Amino acid sequence: MSGALLELRALSGGYEPVQIFRDVTLAMDHGASIGLFGPNGHGKTTLLKTISGLLDPWSGDILFEGVRLNRERARGRRRSLYFNYEVLIPRRMNPQRVVRAGLIHVAQSNLLFPELTVRETLAVARLAGRGRADAEALRQQALALFPRLRERLGQKIRFLSGGERQMVSVACGLIAAPKLLMLDEPTLGLSPKLRHELAAAIHSIRQQVPLIVVDQDVDFLKSLIDTLYLFDHGRISGRIERQDMPSHDQLMRMLFGQTH
Amino acid sequence: MTLQTFLFVCLSGVVLGALYALMATGLAVVWTTLGIFNFAHGTFIAAGAYLAWQLSQGGHSAGFLPNAAISIASLFAVGVLFHLLLVKPFERKPNAVLLSVMTTLAGASIVEGIINLVWGPRSKQLQSIVGDIRFAGIVMSYNDVVMIAVAVAILAAVGAFLRYSTIGRSMRAVAQNREAAQLLGLNVPLLYALAFGLSAALAGMAGLFVGSMRFMTPSMGSEPLMKALIVVIFGGIARFTSPIYAAFVVGMLEAFSTYYVGLYWTPAVLFALMIAVLMIKPEGLFGKYERSV
Repeated sequence: MSGALLELRALSGGYEPVQIFRDVTLAMDHGASIGLFGPNGHGKTTLLKTISGLLDPWSGDILFEGVRLNRERARGRRRSLYFNYEVLIPRRMNPQRVVRAGLIHVAQSNLLFPELTVRETLAVARLAGRGRADAEALRQQALALFPRLRERLGQKIRFLSGGERQMVSVACGLIAAPKLLMLDEPTLGLSPKLRHELAAAIHSIRQQVPLIVVDQDVDFLKSLIDTLYLFDHGRISGRIERQDMPSHDQLMRMLFGQTH
Repeated sequence: MTLQTFLFVCLSGVVLGALYALMATGLAVVWTTLGIFNFAHGTFIAAGAYLAWQLSQGGHSAGFLPNAAISIASLFAVGVLFHLLLVKPFERKPNAVLLSVMTTLAGASIVEGIINLVWGPRSKQLQSIVGDIRFAGIVMSYNDVVMIAVAVAILAAVGAFLRYSTIGRSMRAVAQNREAAQLLGLNVPLLYALAFGLSAALAGMAGLFVGSMRFMTPSMGSEPLMKALIVVIFGGIARFTSPIYAAFVVGMLEAFSTYYVGLYWTPAVLFALMIAVLMIKPEGLFGKYERSV
């Protein structure tokens, strides 16, 4: 299994004391992209946050390019109701280390930095990719993908529309020079036209970077990824390869019966 | 009121404003970046002044500028230490804001106790720059002029640092959205520590000013701290410049109220005016209440 780009081994996690997902095991081969599909509130976003180190995994391991990203020691559990040991317990994950390794997470409806301009935001994103790739080329590529942002460079993020913010988010992800890019519902809440524009850009990013995409639109995922994982109640409940992938309606019928 | 008096009152308002601007900016840097209020900011002022005083004693003083530089640099270190010991352990805990009120107050009394222990309660004064300039019929002391010029230069430098430097930009990014900053690989703990250090260094700078204007006592920072708090709430923290403008407004108000109403009632007048302004503009005089540096 050492050939995998990203490997999750029996990963469990959540927000203390509530466990959100358990025993997630999957391996991504180099160059392949995967999708996660499942109802809202079943732990997809929490899983991505755990992989990127914002949350500590409860158990299990995360390996990227064969290197373990989490500390080996077990999660420090809170044993007393009265005393708070957490100060003394080192975190199991360090988000900075994950980014340095080249695993970049574009969060769901990321509000970014409201008082920074687009130019400044892209410059901050560039720090992430330092030393791994030609940052200027990536910046130019991102601006070519989203020509709309070029006109908005001097504008503060808080004056941008939701779609433009999403574009900045994805552009930041690209500029951070990812070896693997995780996109959490990149087209959430966008108008059909913007959705189309963003989807085209993501397709273009896919040509050079493998992706993990969470989305509710199977038809969008179908054209983008190689393997689709169905996520249900915090577990992976199914795995569909590209050639067997059903249409959105078929899948809905498969999962929820006729009513949908 | 003659023109001379008017100009004189204006000058003292600007001097106060420069002092408050340094203080309030230091407070606002921590407030916006970490989301907590540092009650030890006042004792950082005292620490900066006393360190500079100590360095200026004895035959081997290196001169004013090196002394000032050493005491400001030490204050930076004190700020970083403060953050590591008193603020960081409670980060992201459910009641971090309240806990940090307690720990920074505790830190303030510890630092004050140390100052008392080392230097004693007798008041001291930093040497001020002797000489004055006569201009348009009013007398300005060199000390005041240098103070205003240095405060403006320092604040401009800090503003440029936050705006144009990589570290400053990253500090603003962390202040505005911690999670997004983490996802872009910024070193959040380091940036928090730097923000605290920068804030303490600004307080040390203010301490040098206070020490050359007034007598130094271990609790010399508490009155300027209160003023700085007022300034930050009054001005809002929408932009880096909001507390600076507000500082000069408050300084002017204080100078004129001292002249017209008298020293005794000036705090009451200031508070009354500010409450009236905040009733109409609750987000602060210069913008929205947002954490943005």
